[in-house]
Amino acid sequence: MLFTVVLISLPAILIPVGIAAAIALILGIVLVIASKVFALPVDQTLEEVRSALPGVNCGACGYSGCDGYAQALRDGQDTDVSKCSPGGSDTAAELAAILGQAVPSFTPKVAYIHCQGTTDHTSKRFAYHGVETCAAAQNTFSGPNSCTYGCIGFGDCAAVCPYGAIYISKGIAHIDSHLCRACTLCVAACPKNLIEMMPKHYNAYTVTCKNKWPGGQTRKNCTVGCIGCRRCFKVCPSGAITMDGPLAVIDPNLCTHCNKCLEVCPTHAILRGLPLAEGTDGYPKRSRQEDDPVTPAPALVSGQTTQSDA
Amino acid sequence: MKEVLIILFSAILVDNFVLSRFLGICPFLGVSKNLKTAMGMSMSVIFVMVLATVITWPIYHLLLLPNDLAYLQTMIFILVIASLVQLIEIFLKKAVPPLYKALGVFLPLITTNCAILGVTILNIDETYGFGSSIVNSLGAGLGFMLALFLFAGVRRKVDQANVPKFFKGLPITLVSAALVSISFFGFKGLIENIFK
Repeated sequence: MLFTVVLISLPAILIPVGIAAAIALILGIVLVIASKVFALPVDQTLEEVRSALPGVNCGACGYSGCDGYAQALRDGQDTDVSKCSPGGSDTAAELAAILGQAVPSFTPKVAYIHCQGTTDHTSKRFAYHGVETCAAAQNTFSGPNSCTYGCIGFGDCAAVCPYGAIYISKGIAHIDSHLCRACTLCVAACPKNLIEMMPKHYNAYTVTCKNKWPGGQTRKNCTVGCIGCRRCFKVCPSGAITMDGPLAVIDPNLCTHCNKCLEVCPTHAILRGLPLAEGTDGYPKRSRQEDDPVTPAPALVSGQTTQSDA
Repeated sequence: MKEVLIILFSAILVDNFVLSRFLGICPFLGVSKNLKTAMGMSMSVIFVMVLATVITWPIYHLLLLPNDLAYLQTMIFILVIASLVQLIEIFLKKAVPPLYKALGVFLPLITTNCAILGVTILNIDETYGFGSSIVNSLGAGLGFMLALFLFAGVRRKVDQANVPKFFKGLPITLVSAALVSISFFGFKGLIENIFK
C-alpha cells in the first residue's frame, strides 16, 4: 500500500527535488566560476608582514592597528620598520628581513609617569567620593590632590595597560619598566597628560614633575615637585635642559648623563632610569616582585650615582 | 506614477520593515550605535534588497509557479539570496574595491537577514508586478535606513541618560525602540490621503 503511494507520487517528489537541485547546482557552478574569474592574487608579503607584527592593535606605530601598519609597509607608504614598540627590536629585524631592508637601529622606549607625588609628599584638598576613575576625578575640581598637575592615582592608565606593567602604590601610578612594551595606550588614558615615552637606556634623566606653578605654591603642595629654581638649567653643560615657564624639561636626546642636574636639584625632582638586566634587547622578560607592593617602581630610584653609563 | 509613489512611501513609512513589521531587528539593534556603521549597513541592505528582488521575482514567476512549486519559495529564496550575496561580494572585491570597502563586513552579515527574505516573499504575497516589486524593495531598504538613522539619534540620547541599573543596555534600548515604533503608527492612513 505504502509502496503504491510512493510510486504514484514519485513525479511529485522528483520534480521539486530536481528543480531545487538544478538551481543549487547552477548557483554552485556560477560561484565557482566567479571565484576563479574574479580571484584576487593573494599577497604573500602582506600576510607575512601581518604575522610578524604582535597583533596588539595598540596604535603606537601611528596607524589604526597592526593591519594598517602592515598595509602601509607593504604598499611602500611607510619604509620605517621600527615603529612597532611592543614588538621591539625582534619585530623590526623580522620586518626588515621580509621587506628586504637593512636591519634598523631600534631604540627601545618605556612609558614614564612624570609624577612622584605620593601620599608622603602631597596632601588632599578634599575628600573625593565620586566615581573612582581619573577621568571623573579630573572633572571634579581637577581631582582631590593638593597638586592639580599630579597623578590622581585611580589607575585609568593601569586599566588600559595590556601588559599589567602599571600599578598603583601610595596614591600614584608606577610603571614597571621591565613589563612595559611602550604601546602608548596609557599616554592617551591619562587625563593629566603625565605619561610620556622615554628612551629606555640606562641613564635616562627626567624631571619627574609636570607642575607649572611658581616655586612657592609648589612647595606648599608637594615636597618633591619642580620649583623652577633653574639650578639644573644653569648647570647643564650640554644644553639639554630648557625651562618651560617654571618647569625644567630635559631633552633625552641631548642629555649626556653627566649627573650634574641630579646633584643640584634641591627637591630631588630629577630622576634617572636604572640599568636594564644584563645582555638583553631592552625588554627583559621578568615580572615584578608582587610581595612588596609599596616600594617605588624598581626602575625609578632617585639619586643613584654609584654607576656610570657604559 | 501615483501607485508607484504610494508603494514607495508606504514601504518607507507605514509598513516600515523594522518599526511596523519587526523584521531585521538584529542589525537594527546591532549597528544603530553610531551613524557611520548605520550608513554602511543601510546601503548594503538597500543594495541587496533590490538585487534579491530582481533575481527572486523571475525565479518565482517563471520557474516555481508554472511547475506548481510555490511551496518551495522560502527554501529556494534563501538559497538564491545567499549565493547572490556571495557572488556580489566576489565581484565587488575585484571590480569595485571602494564600494566593497564601504559596505565592508555588512555584506556577508545580511546574507541571511530576515528583512531581505521578508521583502522578497512579501513582494510575491502582495502580487506586485516586477516594477512594483523593485520599488517596494527600494522603499523597504530606505525605510530600514530611516529607522536606523532615527534610532541612532535616540540611542545617543539614551546612552547619556541616567538609566536605572536594571534597565541599562538592551532593556532600555528595546523600550525606546518600542516608543519609536509607536510613533510610526502615526503614519497609518496618511499615505492614502496624501496622494489624493
